[in-house]
Amino acid sequence: MIRAPLSTSSVLDEAAETVRKVASPWAALSIVTALPYRFAQAVFADRLIQLGIDAQHRANYLLMLAGWTMAAFVVSRWGRLVFARAVRLAVESGRAPGAAALRVRFTVLLDYLYVSLFLECVSIATLMTCLAPLLCTIVTGLAVGTAESNDRPSLAAPFRRIAKIGTNVRTATAVALVFVCAAAVAAVNVAGAFGAGLWLGSAIGGWDAQRWMLIVSPSNRRFILTVIAGALVALEPFWVGAYVTFVRKAGVVESGDDLRQWFEELRSA
Amino acid sequence: MTTQPIRVCAFHDQRPAFAVCMSCAKLLCQECASQWDGIWHCSPCLAAKRTAIHSESHAGGWIAVSAVSILLLFVCAKVMVWTGALLAGLL
Repeated sequence: MIRAPLSTSSVLDEAAETVRKVASPWAALSIVTALPYRFAQAVFADRLIQLGIDAQHRANYLLMLAGWTMAAFVVSRWGRLVFARAVRLAVESGRAPGAAALRVRFTVLLDYLYVSLFLECVSIATLMTCLAPLLCTIVTGLAVGTAESNDRPSLAAPFRRIAKIGTNVRTATAVALVFVCAAAVAAVNVAGAFGAGLWLGSAIGGWDAQRWMLIVSPSNRRFILTVIAGALVALEPFWVGAYVTFVRKAGVVESGDDLRQWFEELRSA
Repeated sequence: MTTQPIRVCAFHDQRPAFAVCMSCAKLLCQECASQWDGIWHCSPCLAAKRTAIHSESHAGGWIAVSAVSILLLFVCAKVMVWTGALLAGLL
Protein backbone atom coordinates (compact mmCIF):
# COMPACT_ATOMS: atom_id res chain seq x y z
CA MET A 1 0.00 0.00 0.00
CA ILE A 2 1.35 3.39 -0.92
CA ARG A 3 0.96 6.20 1.58
CA ALA A 4 4.26 8.03 1.71
CA PRO A 5 4.53 10.83 -0.85
CA LEU A 6 7.04 10.55 -3.67
CA SER A 7 10.45 11.40 -2.24
CA THR A 8 13.96 9.97 -2.38
CA SER A 9 13.78 8.53 1.14
CA SER A 10 10.34 6.96 0.62
CA VAL A 11 11.50 5.36 -2.66
CA LEU A 12 14.65 3.96 -1.03
CA ASP A 13 12.76 2.74 2.07
CA GLU A 14 10.08 0.94 0.07
CA ALA A 15 12.66 -0.45 -2.36
CA ALA A 16 14.79 -1.85 0.49
CA GLU A 17 11.72 -3.55 1.97
CA THR A 18 10.69 -5.05 -1.39
CA VAL A 19 14.22 -6.17 -2.32
CA ARG A 20 14.41 -8.00 1.03
CA LYS A 21 11.18 -9.84 0.15
CA VAL A 22 12.38 -10.94 -3.30
CA ALA A 23 16.05 -11.43 -2.43
CA SER A 24 15.76 -15.19 -2.54
CA PRO A 25 16.08 -16.30 -5.31
CA TRP A 26 15.52 -13.33 -7.60
CA ALA A 27 18.35 -11.08 -6.37
CA ALA A 28 20.67 -14.05 -6.78
CA LEU A 29 19.49 -14.51 -10.37
CA SER A 30 20.03 -10.81 -11.03
CA ILE A 31 23.58 -11.02 -9.60
CA VAL A 32 24.45 -14.25 -11.44
CA THR A 33 23.32 -12.82 -14.79
CA ALA A 34 25.08 -9.48 -14.18
CA LEU A 35 28.41 -11.06 -13.14
CA PRO A 36 29.64 -12.11 -16.63
CA TYR A 37 28.87 -8.66 -18.06
CA ARG A 38 30.61 -6.69 -15.32
CA PHE A 39 33.65 -8.94 -15.35
CA ALA A 40 33.81 -8.85 -19.15
CA GLN A 41 33.85 -5.05 -18.84
CA ALA A 42 36.65 -5.33 -16.28
CA VAL A 43 38.67 -7.61 -18.60
CA PHE A 44 38.10 -5.19 -21.50
CA ALA A 45 39.27 -2.22 -19.42
CA ASP A 46 42.29 -4.19 -18.18
CA ARG A 47 43.37 -5.09 -21.72
CA LEU A 48 42.93 -1.49 -22.84
CA ILE A 49 45.14 -0.18 -20.04
CA GLN A 50 47.67 -2.94 -20.74
CA LEU A 51 47.80 -2.15 -24.47
CA GLY A 52 47.89 1.62 -23.98
CA ILE A 53 48.77 3.42 -27.22
CA ASP A 54 49.01 0.02 -29.00
CA ALA A 55 45.27 -0.46 -28.54
CA GLN A 56 44.73 1.29 -31.88
CA HIS A 57 46.66 -1.50 -33.63
CA ARG A 58 44.81 -4.35 -31.87
CA ALA A 59 41.29 -3.43 -33.01
CA ASN A 60 40.33 -7.01 -33.97
CA TYR A 61 41.33 -8.42 -30.58
CA LEU A 62 39.46 -5.64 -28.77
CA LEU A 63 36.42 -6.11 -31.02
CA MET A 64 36.35 -9.79 -30.09
CA LEU A 65 36.41 -8.85 -26.38
CA ALA A 66 33.71 -6.21 -26.96
CA GLY A 67 31.60 -8.82 -28.76
CA TRP A 68 31.76 -11.16 -25.74
CA THR A 69 30.94 -8.23 -23.47
CA MET A 70 27.85 -7.40 -25.53
CA ALA A 71 26.73 -11.06 -25.48
CA ALA A 72 26.97 -10.96 -21.67
CA PHE A 73 25.09 -7.64 -21.77
CA VAL A 74 22.03 -9.33 -23.35
CA VAL A 75 21.99 -12.02 -20.62
CA SER A 76 22.33 -9.38 -17.89
CA ARG A 77 19.34 -7.42 -19.28
CA TRP A 78 17.16 -10.52 -19.12
CA GLY A 79 18.17 -11.07 -15.48
CA ARG A 80 17.47 -7.44 -14.73
CA LEU A 81 13.98 -7.65 -16.24
CA VAL A 82 13.16 -10.81 -14.29
CA PHE A 83 14.21 -9.07 -11.08
CA ALA A 84 12.22 -5.93 -11.99
CA ARG A 85 9.14 -8.10 -12.60
CA ALA A 86 9.68 -9.90 -9.27
CA VAL A 87 9.83 -6.52 -7.49
CA ARG A 88 6.66 -5.29 -9.21
CA LEU A 89 4.77 -8.51 -8.36
CA ALA A 90 5.98 -8.31 -4.75
CA VAL A 91 4.81 -4.69 -4.46
CA GLU A 92 1.39 -5.59 -5.88
CA SER A 93 0.76 -8.79 -3.90
CA GLY A 94 2.74 -7.99 -0.75
CA ARG A 95 4.60 -11.32 -0.82
CA ALA A 96 7.51 -12.92 -2.67
CA PRO A 97 6.51 -13.98 -6.19
CA GLY A 98 6.95 -17.53 -7.47
CA ALA A 99 7.82 -18.66 -10.97
CA ALA A 100 5.54 -15.91 -12.35
CA ALA A 101 8.54 -13.57 -12.15
CA LEU A 102 10.24 -15.58 -14.89
CA ARG A 103 7.43 -14.95 -17.37
CA VAL A 104 8.89 -11.79 -18.91
CA ARG A 105 7.07 -11.11 -22.18
CA PHE A 106 9.25 -11.16 -25.30
CA THR A 107 7.94 -7.70 -26.29
CA VAL A 108 9.15 -6.31 -22.97
CA LEU A 109 12.57 -7.96 -23.36
CA LEU A 110 13.02 -6.75 -26.93
CA ASP A 111 11.92 -3.18 -26.18
CA TYR A 112 14.11 -2.96 -23.08
CA LEU A 113 17.06 -4.44 -24.94
CA TYR A 114 16.68 -1.83 -27.66
CA VAL A 115 16.41 1.08 -25.19
CA SER A 116 19.29 -0.13 -22.99
CA LEU A 117 21.53 -0.78 -26.03
CA PHE A 118 20.86 2.74 -27.27
CA LEU A 119 21.63 4.20 -23.84
CA GLU A 120 24.74 2.03 -23.45
CA CYS A 121 25.96 3.27 -26.81
CA VAL A 122 25.43 6.92 -25.83
CA SER A 123 26.95 6.28 -22.42
CA ILE A 124 30.16 4.76 -23.83
CA ALA A 125 30.49 7.38 -26.57
CA THR A 126 30.18 10.19 -24.00
CA LEU A 127 32.27 8.49 -21.31
CA MET A 128 34.74 11.38 -21.18
CA THR A 129 32.04 13.93 -20.29
CA CYS A 130 31.18 12.13 -16.96
CA LEU A 131 27.79 13.89 -16.79
CA ALA A 132 26.22 12.14 -19.80
CA PRO A 133 26.86 8.59 -18.44
CA LEU A 134 25.13 9.65 -15.20
CA LEU A 135 22.17 10.90 -17.21
CA CYS A 136 22.12 7.60 -19.12
CA THR A 137 22.13 5.71 -15.80
CA ILE A 138 19.00 7.62 -14.72
CA VAL A 139 17.23 6.98 -18.03
CA THR A 140 18.24 3.27 -17.95
CA GLY A 141 16.74 3.05 -14.46
CA LEU A 142 13.51 4.62 -15.67
CA ALA A 143 13.56 2.27 -18.67
CA VAL A 144 13.70 -0.83 -16.46
CA GLY A 145 10.88 0.60 -14.33
CA THR A 146 8.60 1.29 -17.30
CA ALA A 147 9.59 -1.80 -19.33
CA GLU A 148 6.64 -3.91 -18.15
CA SER A 149 4.12 -1.44 -19.58
CA ASN A 150 5.39 -1.93 -23.14
CA ASP A 151 2.62 -3.99 -24.72
CA ARG A 152 3.76 -3.79 -28.35
CA PRO A 153 7.19 -3.34 -29.96
CA SER A 154 7.82 0.27 -30.84
CA LEU A 155 10.84 2.50 -31.38
CA ALA A 156 9.32 5.63 -29.85
CA ALA A 157 6.82 4.38 -27.23
CA PRO A 158 9.41 3.31 -24.59
CA PHE A 159 11.02 6.76 -24.71
CA ARG A 160 7.61 8.46 -24.46
CA ARG A 161 6.86 6.45 -21.30
CA ILE A 162 10.25 7.36 -19.85
CA ALA A 163 9.68 11.04 -20.64
CA LYS A 164 6.27 10.92 -18.93
CA ILE A 165 7.69 9.44 -15.71
CA GLY A 166 10.88 11.49 -16.01
CA THR A 167 8.99 14.69 -15.16
CA ASN A 168 9.96 13.95 -11.53
CA VAL A 169 13.55 14.79 -12.46
CA ARG A 170 14.64 15.83 -8.98
CA THR A 171 13.76 12.53 -7.29
CA ALA A 172 15.09 10.42 -10.18
CA THR A 173 18.42 12.30 -10.09
CA ALA A 174 18.60 12.12 -6.29
CA VAL A 175 18.12 8.33 -6.41
CA ALA A 176 20.93 8.06 -9.00
CA LEU A 177 23.26 10.20 -6.87
CA VAL A 178 22.54 8.07 -3.81
CA PHE A 179 23.62 5.04 -5.85
CA VAL A 180 26.80 6.79 -7.04
CA CYS A 181 27.74 7.27 -3.36
CA ALA A 182 26.58 3.72 -2.57
CA ALA A 183 28.86 2.36 -5.32
CA ALA A 184 31.89 3.95 -3.62
CA VAL A 185 30.84 2.51 -0.24
CA ALA A 186 30.17 -0.91 -1.80
CA ALA A 187 33.62 -0.87 -3.46
CA VAL A 188 35.27 -0.17 -0.10
CA ASN A 189 33.25 -3.03 1.43
CA VAL A 190 34.15 -5.48 -1.34
CA ALA A 191 37.85 -4.55 -0.97
CA GLY A 192 37.47 -4.94 2.82
CA ALA A 193 35.90 -8.38 2.34
CA PHE A 194 38.89 -9.47 0.23
CA GLY A 195 41.27 -8.08 2.88
CA ALA A 196 39.40 -9.84 5.69
CA GLY A 197 39.45 -13.11 3.72
CA LEU A 198 43.19 -12.78 3.22
CA TRP A 199 43.73 -11.98 6.90
CA LEU A 200 41.73 -15.04 7.95
CA GLY A 201 43.51 -17.16 5.33
CA SER A 202 46.94 -16.06 6.57
CA ALA A 203 46.22 -17.94 9.80
CA ILE A 204 46.28 -21.16 7.78
CA GLY A 205 49.70 -22.39 6.78
CA GLY A 206 50.76 -24.14 3.59
CA TRP A 207 49.99 -21.44 1.04
CA ASP A 208 51.80 -18.46 -0.35
CA ALA A 209 50.25 -15.62 1.64
CA GLN A 210 52.80 -13.09 0.40
CA ARG A 211 51.81 -13.67 -3.21
CA TRP A 212 48.13 -13.17 -2.37
CA MET A 213 49.00 -9.98 -0.47
CA LEU A 214 50.38 -8.61 -3.72
CA ILE A 215 47.35 -9.75 -5.73
CA VAL A 216 44.83 -8.31 -3.27
CA SER A 217 46.45 -4.91 -2.97
CA PRO A 218 45.34 -1.50 -4.26
CA SER A 219 48.48 -1.32 -6.42
CA ASN A 220 47.16 -4.23 -8.52
CA ARG A 221 45.09 -2.81 -11.39
CA ARG A 222 43.17 -6.05 -11.91
CA PHE A 223 42.16 -6.15 -8.25
CA ILE A 224 40.83 -2.58 -8.46
CA LEU A 225 38.81 -3.41 -11.60
CA THR A 226 37.45 -6.57 -9.94
CA VAL A 227 36.41 -4.57 -6.87
CA ILE A 228 34.59 -2.00 -9.04
CA ALA A 229 32.82 -4.78 -10.98
CA GLY A 230 31.91 -6.54 -7.72
CA ALA A 231 30.50 -3.34 -6.22
CA LEU A 232 28.33 -2.69 -9.27
CA VAL A 233 27.03 -6.27 -9.26
CA ALA A 234 26.22 -6.09 -5.54
CA LEU A 235 24.27 -2.85 -6.02
CA GLU A 236 22.34 -4.00 -9.09
CA PRO A 237 19.29 -5.51 -7.27
CA PHE A 238 18.89 -2.41 -5.06
CA TRP A 239 19.24 -0.08 -8.02
CA VAL A 240 16.63 -1.97 -10.06
CA GLY A 241 14.34 -2.17 -7.01
CA ALA A 242 14.64 1.57 -6.39
CA TYR A 243 13.75 2.53 -9.95
CA VAL A 244 10.84 0.06 -10.20
CA THR A 245 9.49 1.50 -6.94
CA PHE A 246 10.10 5.05 -8.16
CA VAL A 247 8.26 4.47 -11.46
CA ARG A 248 5.36 2.81 -9.66
CA LYS A 249 5.07 5.58 -7.09
CA ALA A 250 5.38 8.33 -9.70
CA GLY A 251 2.73 6.65 -11.90
CA VAL A 252 0.38 6.07 -8.98
CA VAL A 253 0.69 9.65 -7.76
CA GLU A 254 0.04 10.90 -11.28
CA SER A 255 -3.16 8.87 -11.67
CA GLY A 256 -4.46 9.54 -8.13
CA ASP A 257 -4.51 5.80 -7.37
CA ASP A 258 -2.76 6.33 -4.04
CA LEU A 259 -5.66 8.43 -2.75
CA ARG A 260 -8.20 5.88 -4.03
CA GLN A 261 -6.33 3.01 -2.36
CA TRP A 262 -6.00 4.93 0.88
CA PHE A 263 -9.69 5.85 0.85
CA GLU A 264 -10.70 2.21 0.26
CA GLU A 265 -8.46 1.09 3.11
CA LEU A 266 -10.02 3.68 5.42
CA ARG A 267 -13.51 2.55 4.46
CA SER A 268 -12.77 -1.11 5.08
CA ALA A 269 -11.04 -0.38 8.42
CA MET B 1 -57.11 -0.42 -34.65
CA THR B 2 -53.66 -2.03 -34.77
CA THR B 3 -51.43 -2.46 -31.73
CA GLN B 4 -47.71 -1.71 -31.91
CA PRO B 5 -45.68 -4.95 -31.36
CA ILE B 6 -43.60 -4.81 -28.18
CA ARG B 7 -39.92 -4.77 -29.07
CA VAL B 8 -37.90 -7.13 -26.92
CA CYS B 9 -34.19 -7.86 -26.37
CA ALA B 10 -32.67 -10.36 -28.82
CA PHE B 11 -31.04 -12.23 -25.93
CA HIS B 12 -33.79 -11.88 -23.27
CA ASP B 13 -37.33 -12.12 -24.68
CA GLN B 14 -38.83 -11.02 -21.34
CA ARG B 15 -37.11 -7.66 -21.37
CA PRO B 16 -38.03 -4.61 -23.42
CA ALA B 17 -35.58 -3.34 -26.01
CA PHE B 18 -33.49 -0.40 -24.93
CA ALA B 19 -30.96 0.05 -27.74
CA VAL B 20 -29.90 -1.30 -31.14
CA CYS B 21 -26.46 -2.82 -31.77
CA MET B 22 -24.80 -0.68 -34.42
CA SER B 23 -22.86 -3.67 -35.77
CA CYS B 24 -25.51 -6.40 -36.14
CA ALA B 25 -28.71 -4.31 -35.67
CA LYS B 26 -30.02 -6.59 -32.89
CA LEU B 27 -32.31 -5.11 -30.25
CA LEU B 28 -30.77 -5.03 -26.81
CA CYS B 29 -32.01 -4.63 -23.25
CA GLN B 30 -30.27 -2.34 -20.77
CA GLU B 31 -28.10 -5.17 -19.48
CA CYS B 32 -26.96 -6.39 -22.90
CA ALA B 33 -26.20 -2.96 -24.38
CA SER B 34 -22.67 -1.67 -23.96
CA GLN B 35 -21.47 1.67 -25.18
CA TRP B 36 -18.03 1.82 -26.77
CA ASP B 37 -16.74 5.05 -28.21
CA GLY B 38 -20.28 6.50 -27.85
CA ILE B 39 -21.88 3.70 -29.91
CA TRP B 40 -24.12 0.87 -28.65
CA HIS B 41 -22.93 -2.70 -29.24
CA CYS B 42 -24.04 -6.16 -28.14
CA SER B 43 -21.59 -8.39 -26.22
CA PRO B 44 -20.64 -10.71 -29.15
CA CYS B 45 -19.92 -7.74 -31.45
CA LEU B 46 -17.92 -6.00 -28.74
CA ALA B 47 -15.93 -9.20 -28.13
CA ALA B 48 -15.27 -9.53 -31.88
CA LYS B 49 -14.04 -5.93 -32.01
CA ARG B 50 -11.79 -6.52 -29.01
CA THR B 51 -10.31 -9.66 -30.56
CA ALA B 52 -9.71 -7.79 -33.82
CA ILE B 53 -7.82 -5.05 -31.95
CA HIS B 54 -5.73 -7.52 -29.96
CA SER B 55 -4.84 -9.64 -32.99
CA GLU B 56 -3.77 -6.52 -34.89
CA SER B 57 -0.43 -7.22 -36.49
CA HIS B 58 2.58 -5.36 -35.12
CA ALA B 59 4.91 -6.86 -37.69
CA GLY B 60 6.34 -3.45 -38.57
CA GLY B 61 7.17 -2.74 -34.93
CA TRP B 62 8.72 -6.19 -34.42
CA ILE B 63 10.91 -5.88 -37.50
CA ALA B 64 11.96 -2.30 -36.72
CA VAL B 65 12.84 -2.93 -33.06
CA SER B 66 14.62 -6.23 -33.83
CA ALA B 67 16.64 -4.69 -36.68
CA VAL B 68 17.61 -1.61 -34.64
CA SER B 69 18.55 -3.79 -31.63
CA ILE B 70 20.85 -6.00 -33.72
CA LEU B 71 22.38 -2.93 -35.35
CA LEU B 72 22.89 -1.30 -31.94
CA LEU B 73 24.55 -4.46 -30.64
CA PHE B 74 27.23 -4.18 -33.34
CA VAL B 75 27.50 -0.39 -33.08
CA CYS B 76 27.87 -0.66 -29.31
CA ALA B 77 30.79 -3.12 -29.65
CA LYS B 78 32.45 -0.80 -32.19
CA VAL B 79 31.90 2.28 -30.01
CA MET B 80 33.40 0.38 -27.07
CA VAL B 81 36.58 -0.27 -29.08
CA TRP B 82 36.81 3.26 -30.52
CA THR B 83 36.25 5.02 -27.21
CA GLY B 84 38.49 2.54 -25.41
CA ALA B 85 41.33 2.99 -27.90
CA LEU B 86 40.95 6.76 -27.70
CA LEU B 87 41.03 6.74 -23.88
CA ALA B 88 43.94 4.26 -23.81
CA GLY B 89 45.87 6.55 -26.13
CA LEU B 90 45.19 9.55 -23.91
CA LEU B 91 46.08 7.83 -20.64
